[in-house]
Amino acid sequence: MRRVVPVLLLIICSATFFGQSSKPAPQREFVDKYCIACHNDRTRTAGVTLASPELDKIGDNAELWEKVLHKVRTGQMPPLNMPRPDDATRKTTVSSLETALDRAAAANPKPGRVSAHRLNRTEYANAIRDLLTLEIDAKALLLPDEADEGFDNVAASLALSPSHLERYLSAAREISRRAIGDKTLGMVPTAILYSVPKLLEQDIRTSEELSFGSRGGLAVRHNFPLDGEYAFKVRLRRQVYDYIIGMGSPQKLDVRIDGKLVKRFTVGGEAKGIRGPLTWNGEIVGDTDYELYMHAADAGLEVRVPVSAGIRKVTVAFVDTPWEPEGLQQPRQVDFGRGSDEQYEGYAAVDTVAIRGPFQPGGPGDTASRRIIFSCKPNGSAAEEPCARKILTTLARRAYRRPATEDEIQTLLGFYRTGSKESGFESGIQSALERMLVSFNFLFRIENPAATASGTARLNDFDLASRLSFFLWSSIPDDELLTLAGRGRLKDPIVLDQQVKRMLRDSRSNALVDSFANQWLTTRKLQTWLPDQILFPDWDENLRDAFVRETELFMEDQLHEDHSVIDLINANYSFINERLAKHYGMSNVYGERFRRVTFTDGARGGILGQGGVLMVTSYPDRTAPVVRGFWVLENLLGMPPPPPPPNVPDLALVNADGRKRTLREQMELHRANPACATCHVRMDPLGFALENFDAIGRWRKESDGVPVDASAVFADGTPIDGVQGLKKFVIGHRDDYVTTFTSRLLTYALGRSVDYSDNPAIRKIIREAAANDYRWSSIISGIVKSTPFQYISGEMPGRQGTTNKDKN
Amino acid sequence: MIITKKAISRRTVLKGLGATLALPFLDAMMPASTAIARSAAKAPTRFGAIYVPNGVIPGKWFPTAEGTDFEYSPSLQPLLPFRDRILILSGLDSVPPPPPGERQYNNHADASTRFLTDTTPSHILRAGVSVDQVLAKKWGAETSLPSLELALESVDSGTSCDFGRSCVYTGTISWGGPTAPLPMEQSPSAAFERLFGENTDPAARRARMQQKGSILDSLLQEVGKLQQKVGPADRTKITGYLESVRDVEQRIQKAVEHNAEVPLVNRPAGIPETFEEQAKLMFDIQLLAYQGDVTRVVTYMIGREFSGRTYPEIGVPDAHHPISHHQRDPVRMEKLSKINHYHVSLFSWFVDKMKNTPDGDGSLLDHSAIIYGAGMSEGNGHVPLNLPILLVGGGSGELKGGRHIKAAPGTPLANFHMSLMSKLGVPVESHGNSTGLFNID
Repeated sequence: MRRVVPVLLLIICSATFFGQSSKPAPQREFVDKYCIACHNDRTRTAGVTLASPELDKIGDNAELWEKVLHKVRTGQMPPLNMPRPDDATRKTTVSSLETALDRAAAANPKPGRVSAHRLNRTEYANAIRDLLTLEIDAKALLLPDEADEGFDNVAASLALSPSHLERYLSAAREISRRAIGDKTLGMVPTAILYSVPKLLEQDIRTSEELSFGSRGGLAVRHNFPLDGEYAFKVRLRRQVYDYIIGMGSPQKLDVRIDGKLVKRFTVGGEAKGIRGPLTWNGEIVGDTDYELYMHAADAGLEVRVPVSAGIRKVTVAFVDTPWEPEGLQQPRQVDFGRGSDEQYEGYAAVDTVAIRGPFQPGGPGDTASRRIIFSCKPNGSAAEEPCARKILTTLARRAYRRPATEDEIQTLLGFYRTGSKESGFESGIQSALERMLVSFNFLFRIENPAATASGTARLNDFDLASRLSFFLWSSIPDDELLTLAGRGRLKDPIVLDQQVKRMLRDSRSNALVDSFANQWLTTRKLQTWLPDQILFPDWDENLRDAFVRETELFMEDQLHEDHSVIDLINANYSFINERLAKHYGMSNVYGERFRRVTFTDGARGGILGQGGVLMVTSYPDRTAPVVRGFWVLENLLGMPPPPPPPNVPDLALVNADGRKRTLREQMELHRANPACATCHVRMDPLGFALENFDAIGRWRKESDGVPVDASAVFADGTPIDGVQGLKKFVIGHRDDYVTTFTSRLLTYALGRSVDYSDNPAIRKIIREAAANDYRWSSIISGIVKSTPFQYISGEMPGRQGTTNKDKN
Repeated sequence: MIITKKAISRRTVLKGLGATLALPFLDAMMPASTAIARSAAKAPTRFGAIYVPNGVIPGKWFPTAEGTDFEYSPSLQPLLPFRDRILILSGLDSVPPPPPGERQYNNHADASTRFLTDTTPSHILRAGVSVDQVLAKKWGAETSLPSLELALESVDSGTSCDFGRSCVYTGTISWGGPTAPLPMEQSPSAAFERLFGENTDPAARRARMQQKGSILDSLLQEVGKLQQKVGPADRTKITGYLESVRDVEQRIQKAVEHNAEVPLVNRPAGIPETFEEQAKLMFDIQLLAYQGDVTRVVTYMIGREFSGRTYPEIGVPDAHHPISHHQRDPVRMEKLSKINHYHVSLFSWFVDKMKNTPDGDGSLLDHSAIIYGAGMSEGNGHVPLNLPILLVGGGSGELKGGRHIKAAPGTPLANFHMSLMSKLGVPVESHGNSTGLFNID
């Protein structure tokens, strides 16, 4: 569809501007010399013709010229086998095209618009946190969101199906009842089960959330809905045949609430009778007494204690009493052996913790949520409705991100009245809150409804406040933003700048790491990635956690220390703990705490040396240079190759002589086939440069018994040697990289796809950020100041739902 | 419809809470609901699949004679009272080829994975869509939940439960698609919550529906006003939202119509102590789901493959899996057949309840098709041939019980899957390793 647009434009232009002539446009000479041989009216290669001089009215053909500009600037055009301009000529043409396009855009800005925008799951959870001081498990309450353009906050993909609405209805009920501490929550006790992944090694302290001197176990933040008694039942880890592991010796197990010890159990070491042969349990059995003990030794690990309402940290972990000297490494069992060994003499481990209750429920207690909701307490029934009005007006202003109208308050009060008539004041508030949380004013961001008919308009201050807070915090604006917006002060550039600085200092801005960076770098996949366990027996959940944490800490540091975004590639440091140090082959890093370390090898440090990034760009069982190369091209350089042509034959895994082909030999087949070669000569070299990292990001010198060759030559003849070479290559393409970064961040900031008409804004942001060394703050503030961020277009047919899939 | 003849007061139910879980929890309340006939004109068909792990003792499982005139085998004795509703199948094989470049193991991971997909699991997490999910896609729009997956034992995705293959394979029989294994709910409390919330009390449920209804009414007004204010593109989008609101209203209306047909039960507060109580509680939840028409598709794993559960209550204190590798030791074989018999007896307890639960013009059993079986015949050798499969229920008149049908040698399990789906009104062109239909008429 998009391919025919230039042709349509051509027709329109010919009709409109017929007869106009002046001296040739500056790019015309370049086009006639380097482009026209393929892109003429007759051949129309790739559906593009640049023949008509009418096209030289650049502003009227911006989409076409942005495409030309991109191809020429990134060196993708003219093709390698055709006459190519020298660098100076290329740069002059690029610069003159940019100037013309930017001028045209300034004269006729097209800020675009974002259609009605549903809060995604992360935003919803953060909004509840900031509105009601309540932590919720959004994954359990709501449906997952589709990602579009690589981000799950893109409005076009955030639909509202009946199933979504059902979930919102039940979530609103659940959340409002928990927030006020509804007494009926105690009517039927609830059981919540927390489980520890099987591959989490529990022979060390597993989290900084757990006490010093502890071993294994888990820490959870649990919401106790009411004061009352709660039961904590621990189940120990079993091997695959259900034998409890580590039952050879007694071990102490602590249950703590907010760090305070509520129960210390002793479990293990009490098996009677003749044992089954070690590691053969499950195949050959022992005495009945032994068998029963090995299956039920944890039956009594349950404690019931009174707990006051609120969100509390519950930890269940062993007391660390080593059964062998520290530092002795037992060989790790792998795959099925690991699953089937009862590890009788080893450490017991926690499998699940069930928290049930409340039993004998009491009152709602004094929770943070209640303190924030009940801003007044009515004394006497006459005071109830005025108090309810005050409470609901305060909450609705935050939830709807602007002062609620009288009409909206009346709706909420209607629910309040029904609820309070049935079960009292607090129930009334709960009922109104439930209604508020399914209001479209809460669930959706619909911008500036009054002024969308046509033309370009500045966003009103409240919509701007929401854009800011959803961009930087993935959440609703706070009181300060709303107050400024209410006074009409937010659009003042000085105030706006102060607010952006304040918001970036706030820990809520870590949402940029969680939501933006992890989606941009595709490291969200880490959560579910599972490498082949036979090939990578060392892989465990501790390493998964460490990968996630390394990338998070590094990005947070880059953001908060306001580094240049080029340092994402170039940095020589990272954050690691003992587990990760071992993985990276480093010594002298002990314990679970992550600390900053500087690397001198030029390999680690920066995102291209991070285990998590390297793992999710591999296959579960081997590295994939094509995937890694594509990843670099798409996410760092902004020139993703098109999808492969149909009917691509499978690459033969073996040679004619039956010998398994090396990966490089397989890849060379790509380049032998011209249909594959056009793209693979660009993808493969970038991927091969990373071949010193295996599929779980370990450094390696050989693969398949052959020394790793991490040198490659890029399509344009640039040699790239190893990861150090790749870093140099990416930084050498600084403009492409910074443009890509900015374009991705702008997509995320706006929650819509970015297309050609946003390019002038992107160039402006980058030009201004250049003076500031492309620091995070300079790009973020450039985005906030940009036309697409501060203005919206009127609704024009054709601007809705466009994608930038083929903009390049 | 309102339950007027209460067999048990709500207060009694609530009092029993917390201390112990009264089980089997439906029994005491059954009379009130059985007295009421369903008002629905035509009852929908329900599907279920019950899975037992580690294979069986084929010699004690299969009847020797075919057709209608045969003697019930020892393992199946508990089902004798329902003979006319049961189709015993033998001779079905499940040996789909492994994915290209992978080995054929025929192990535990294969058994559970193939049971409803007849696809061999891959080294990477990949298999095929399962029968229940094909049906759920078709029937799911009619009910508030498309399907429910239940299990008594935990599933852990993190490790290997069978030579290089993920524990997901041994812990589920439901696959939404080749790469979408569905987790099975192990907590009766959570399963109940998904179906009914805190309890099935019609008054409380009605109150909730009313609250939801008034929220939706009020949302309709809100959205109506919003539509006036926005531009054309957003208006189109918001019209879509309106449809969602109306759709949910209609679903609630449907739920209200079904409301009184479920007996009064509270959400269970945890997992009961004994295996038998756990197993029956999950069966009860399955029954409630059908009865309230909250979902029509339920899968239930009584044990995951490799289960090492001990059964001291029936005189088998040994773990299930080692016993299943009996190496022809008669003592062990006897113990394994005791476990098989015990599982079947629990199932027959459920079948009895299905039979005694009125549904439309008959019973729930009349309107159901329940598969019961294992993914191996002989556990000792992980044999994937001649699988023990039962098909129970009338299938709304489509299924004829009272028979033992032997499949021709080499008949793929998937051919049975295809025929069953076709009987249930959801024919598919192929499924797993299918080569055609397997006649079960």
